[in-house]
Amino acid sequence: MYVPNTSLLFNLSSFMKYIFLLSFLCITSFISAQNTAIGSNEQLTFSASYNMSGLLTELAEVKMETSEVKTAKSTLLRLKCTAATYSKWDNFFKIRDLYESYVSPKYLTPYLYKRDINEGGYEKFMQYKFKRKTSNAESIKRKKRRDGTTWEEKKTLKINSDTRDIISTMYHIRNLDIAKANPGDSQTFKVLFDNTEFSVNVKFLKKETLATQIGSKECYKLAISVNNSAILKGNNDNLLWLTADANKIPVYAKFKIPVGNGELKIKSATGLKH
Amino acid sequence: MKKVVILLAFISAIVAVILAVTPLSKLAYIPGICSLIFGILGLYLSKGEKSSKRTLQLVFLMTIIALGLTTYKAIFNTVEVGDTQELQDKEAESEEAAIDELNDLDIED
Repeated sequence: MYVPNTSLLFNLSSFMKYIFLLSFLCITSFISAQNTAIGSNEQLTFSASYNMSGLLTELAEVKMETSEVKTAKSTLLRLKCTAATYSKWDNFFKIRDLYESYVSPKYLTPYLYKRDINEGGYEKFMQYKFKRKTSNAESIKRKKRRDGTTWEEKKTLKINSDTRDIISTMYHIRNLDIAKANPGDSQTFKVLFDNTEFSVNVKFLKKETLATQIGSKECYKLAISVNNSAILKGNNDNLLWLTADANKIPVYAKFKIPVGNGELKIKSATGLKH
Repeated sequence: MKKVVILLAFISAIVAVILAVTPLSKLAYIPGICSLIFGILGLYLSKGEKSSKRTLQLVFLMTIIALGLTTYKAIFNTVEVGDTQELQDKEAESEEAAIDELNDLDIED
């Protein structure tokens, strides 16, 4: 049996946080429009890994899927992201995370966000119901105590009209017309995470061609930073590459952690709109 | 000097063995190679002396075990996701619960 190293566990936990933050935060306003990039049956699979001096250790599989959901009144798009550690890690630090956002298929406006995470025995549930008319979000936070019981906290949060959750933000940026942006252009936008509204700054750096598992792709290289946060600082250390085509698939992400780098690489992409 | 080098070789070898048995086994190459370098340096420094070389022998043995195990794991261990049945069940339950929640919401577009 492995003896967990506390600093390693911290790194892993932070690592997963980075993965989601980095994966789901990006540009919002290089002109936004109706949904032209996201299909209703898309599945993207990524491998999250830790890189130290070129020694790459694969940690988890991250999946991003879309599907249609019919409610009594309308049809919405379900944006689902999951993270699961590879079997070699399961005895050491098991992660089974589920992130969901239910959005309008036309404008990708979020109505319901759910986050249900299990990271090495730490369980947490978050839910936001976005009420656009009253500019607020009803939040539910549920955590599991060490003795197995759970506690729940309900809040009503005041939000801006353009505030989104982390998942819909990621998909939203894929829907933007980045082709019209110039290198150096940056944009700040609002993301609700852990009952706090974060200002996220995204900068379009340049176009680059990357060799990926789905072929050689010309990509938009973006730098991401979060204001007033120790996680994603604003010195171009945290990067995201989106394909420079109509699908704008996130193919590669790289972010700095105290020792080494975290990476997210695409493994497969199916059900694309274009 | 010789004692310091041997101590460093010994510590590196222990770190390499520990890393080799964890899922982060690839990182064992770094202390493994350090241990080999310090071990060889230790041998060189104690050349001609009649003192026991048991510690260095142990260092080399541990390093070889660590590097062997790491290489074996790198070649033969396949990367696959473990049991996700629980997660899949959670996904299905969550969708059903979400539809109930969404039925109560005003959806504009």
